[in-house]
Amino acid sequence: MQVAQDLSFISLISHASVLVQLVLALLLVVSLLSWWVIFQKIFTIKLEIQQTEAFEKDFWSGANLNELYQSAANARRDSGTLEKIFEAGFREYAKLKKQSGIDSNSIMESTRRAMRAAYQRNIDKVESHLSYLATIGSVSPYVGLFGTVWGIMNAFRALSNVSQATIAHVAPGIAEALVATAMGLFAAIPAVIAYNHFSHDINRLATSFESFMEEFSNVLQRQSGSN
Amino acid sequence: MRALAREQDKLLSGVLAFAVHVLFVAFLIFSLRWQSKQPDTMEVQLWNALPTPKEVIEVKPKPIEHEQVEPTAIEEPVPEPSKEIQKPDILIKEKIEKDYKKEELLKKEKIKREQEKSRLEELKHAKEKEELEAAQRQQDDVRRQQQEQAMAAQTQIRSEYVTRIQGKIRRLVVLPPDIAGNPQAEFDVVLLPGGEVLSVKLKKSSGYAAYDDAVERAIYKAQPLPLPPDPTLFPSFRELHLKFRPEN
Repeated sequence: MQVAQDLSFISLISHASVLVQLVLALLLVVSLLSWWVIFQKIFTIKLEIQQTEAFEKDFWSGANLNELYQSAANARRDSGTLEKIFEAGFREYAKLKKQSGIDSNSIMESTRRAMRAAYQRNIDKVESHLSYLATIGSVSPYVGLFGTVWGIMNAFRALSNVSQATIAHVAPGIAEALVATAMGLFAAIPAVIAYNHFSHDINRLATSFESFMEEFSNVLQRQSGSN
Repeated sequence: MRALAREQDKLLSGVLAFAVHVLFVAFLIFSLRWQSKQPDTMEVQLWNALPTPKEVIEVKPKPIEHEQVEPTAIEEPVPEPSKEIQKPDILIKEKIEKDYKKEELLKKEKIKREQEKSRLEELKHAKEKEELEAAQRQQDDVRRQQQEQAMAAQTQIRSEYVTRIQGKIRRLVVLPPDIAGNPQAEFDVVLLPGGEVLSVKLKKSSGYAAYDDAVERAIYKAQPLPLPPDPTLFPSFRELHLKFRPEN
């Protein structure tokens, strides 16, 4: 017959059943991880966009390709995806160019393959953990809902012992249970928003990389044709 | 360089994620605490019945202040005329006795003044009395109001519990078949403090003996009957006059 008057957040959680508490703890951990990934992605994508813009500026300002290759090879670990694509393509091109007896078409083919390999390796790195955000966004509301349903089940089961049922007997239990849904939504909403935002950003980056690859292979073809 | 920057990014994003959650939890705790305070404000509303005596307490000191102020105001004018009168008295005794009339006149004036003063004082006393009486009347009114409120609360509780008792009994009545219309059966029930039924007397039959018996059985079955937790209210429940109809 005890009716909890104090509905503060801490008492709500401490009165909840073990399973609801477990669900809450799980959702808290998941939400922490998702926010960690969100912030990390914010930083990496921002850095990637900056580096891409800087390299495109360098490239189209008419710098010598050899000099660009030297600087890209020296700053290997510090370079962005676009610089790496350029480096891989130019290295392949230069290697095959030294060997005589290979026609320009096959040189261009292998250059493109090298660039594509570098592109895919790097875009994969940028995209990593994004699927994690998508999973959190779609699953955590259900996990929260599970906790809520379980809590409400318990609240109604406790009601069966009481002869005169009032809303005051069920209300605290339902409030406890609903905290789980709130937690699930708190984990899911930012994850979904971030996932959509990041996938849009990464798509834009990928198109800019692909168009750069096309343009760069055109440049190389022109060079090999002129030589 | 890049690796170091990445490590820093990881740490920074971890810290930021943690900060977001601390904010979230703090928001939850505080926002829900505000909600839990709302019942307190509802309890405060229960005090609405009491402010009237407070006003009376505020009124009381006012007449006392008047009493303290007024006597000084009366005393002050008294010595001034007496000095004026004494001085001419001495002068008259030293110089001439012919101005005896003047003295008499002065005496008369003095008497008149004193009479006026006493009259004024009487008036003031009367006023004070009136004020005191008014204050007392107010107090009485407040007391009567409180009593009435208490009575009203009592009758409210009584009617609430009587309906509860009737409801509990009605739920246990097994209606016999073939009752035409909605006849009323009246019972006098004597209760014990625990809610047990001491005696049940049929006051007015419904015309259907089966229904009367069913109600009587239900009254015994409904023991203990619900009574208010305050034992001082029991006397009003000792003897109950209950009316029952098959359909309500």
